[in-house]
Amino acid sequence: MISQNALHHAEKCRFCFMCRHLCPIQLQTGKEINTPRAKGLILSMENKGTAKFDRDMAQTMYECLICDACVNDCATGYQPPLFIREARTEAVANDLAPESVMKLLENVEATGNIYGAEKPSFAREGKDVLVYVGEVAACKVPKMAESLLKLLEQAGVSAKVLENEPGSGAMLADLMGYVDEVAQEAKTLANAINATGLKTVVVLDSYDAEIMKQRYAAWGAEIHAQVVTATQYVSDLLKAGKIAPKASLAKKGACHDDDRLARTFYEFEPIREMAKAAGFELVEMFNKERLAKSCGSAVTLAYMPNIVLKVASGRWSDLLRTEAQAILTANPQSYLCLTQNVPEGKEVVDLYSALI
Amino acid sequence: MNVLVCVKAVPSTGSVQVDGAFRLQRDGAKLEWNVSDLSALEAALSLKGPEGRVTVLTMGPKKLEEPLRELFARGVDEALLLTDPAFAGADTFATANALETAVKNHGPFDLILCGRRAIDGETGQVPSMLAAALALPCITGAERITPEGSGLLVRRPVEEGVQMLFVPMPAVISLCEYTYSLRLPGIMGLRRAKGKAVTLLSPAELGIDKENLGLSGSLTRVIQMDSKFPGLRKGPKTDSLSQGIPAILSVIKEAKG
Ligand code: SF4
Ligand code: SF4
Repeated sequence: MISQNALHHAEKCRFCFMCRHLCPIQLQTGKEINTPRAKGLILSMENKGTAKFDRDMAQTMYECLICDACVNDCATGYQPPLFIREARTEAVANDLAPESVMKLLENVEATGNIYGAEKPSFAREGKDVLVYVGEVAACKVPKMAESLLKLLEQAGVSAKVLENEPGSGAMLADLMGYVDEVAQEAKTLANAINATGLKTVVVLDSYDAEIMKQRYAAWGAEIHAQVVTATQYVSDLLKAGKIAPKASLAKKGACHDDDRLARTFYEFEPIREMAKAAGFELVEMFNKERLAKSCGSAVTLAYMPNIVLKVASGRWSDLLRTEAQAILTANPQSYLCLTQNVPEGKEVVDLYSALI
Repeated sequence: MNVLVCVKAVPSTGSVQVDGAFRLQRDGAKLEWNVSDLSALEAALSLKGPEGRVTVLTMGPKKLEEPLRELFARGVDEALLLTDPAFAGADTFATANALETAVKNHGPFDLILCGRRAIDGETGQVPSMLAAALALPCITGAERITPEGSGLLVRRPVEEGVQMLFVPMPAVISLCEYTYSLRLPGIMGLRRAKGKAVTLLSPAELGIDKENLGLSGSLTRVIQMDSKFPGLRKGPKTDSLSQGIPAILSVIKEAKG
């Protein structure tokens, strides 16, 4: 029951096979079914009645990071995540989604986050900006959230964080597509943000920033404040001289452009400015900026850890081909995935902590 | 509130084809719901209230069953599809006739909502023809509907501003496009939708004589259709921004006197 629009995307592939070489899941699993175009093909077969949407097909739809690398490179403007998300909606609605996915959805229902645990609070009062921490940083990478808040404090920015911060809907949207339940979560968060009356929301996790900036308005969940990525905000503070650069560390580091900064926001300079200010000598990995290879996402790590470990290793191999000792990130999801299997002698650096 | 929404599947841009009798070919075309009808549908879903019902009514090929079932997932309670070759080629009069019969057979409804016009025919006549046939008050081109006592307060954009009109129920109201944004289907809705069926209605089930339907029931005929390329406007042309921008600015300055 995928939409005509999604079906159109599933069927207009020219079989040029470019996406085959860049899909991080296909590269790591080596499975032909994991090329973006193969996912489109099987949905097209299902639509024509020559294949049935069963558990195996649903599993295949979850073997995708929604990293948008295929969208970025497809010459026909074909957008696999569009139909992959809709296929996930079908999978959940028909009880065909993998058990590990259903478990995460139960966690969201019980606790409001995919981890099924009480979300640590970073609540505080402030008058300049609202900081949206997000569930991955709060539950899994709290140090990054603490460091961002500390950095803002040092820069003289009075930051507020919501008590019982609602989810953004980004996790749910990756698990079951853009459905009404996601829009409802968006409305709750938008109302909470609007009630603060603050004019700027600094969003730590670019996955949250993406859904807020690109989807909320269409769902009647307008945020009245300006939504900015934390990387952009911190880089502006650096430019304004509100954050003092560190002395050189005499260490080489390579910035990892996370999926959303790389392919939604095309935001490449801010993390590099942050890395230089933190004292790193910058080197670049071969796949950078819009072509940056994904290192995995928190939600896929939660339901498909083995494949995400392979994907993260793939990103580490890119780093190993450079002279860098450290991979540098300002995204909690990338930090979480990359710290799962750090090669000997290398490190993952959280750029907010590095700037304190 | 018991609301009926008339929706139309229109060919999406790029897949429009016309047969020898100048009728739009819907069978092979990629169809999508007319954009202002989606506003009407969302208005209905937000107005119906907890005890209310929303029924959608459409006329078209049997392949619309699946897109209609998708509307169940968004909160629609019932879907009626008038489908038979006899309905094909209907002008606005024959369409309003068929819809009127379906409304009489499946009503009564407190409110009938439509999109203000379909992007394929662009006539905008069906809502008022339907209202006339049912002897109901009609407001066209609305952008907001709010319950007010026993009726509805309707905001309608006009050239000089907005009108606020009160209408008693039942009534027919047509909505402008992009005024209400249609909610997403929910997982619970998708699950509920699986157990629901679209009601298919033939002329016999509606009790209408085939003579009064489709092309034979139409008062108008398309006798000629031409496409005309409007041509390029005369005037200086340049590829250079540094020349083009000052040239446009000077034209604007000149026009402003
Ligand atoms: S890059 Fe696009 S057109 Fe080429 S095979 Fe992949 S999906 Fe098809
Ligand atoms: S979004 Fe990323 S993981 Fe998914 S199919 Fe495209 S390239 Fe592969």
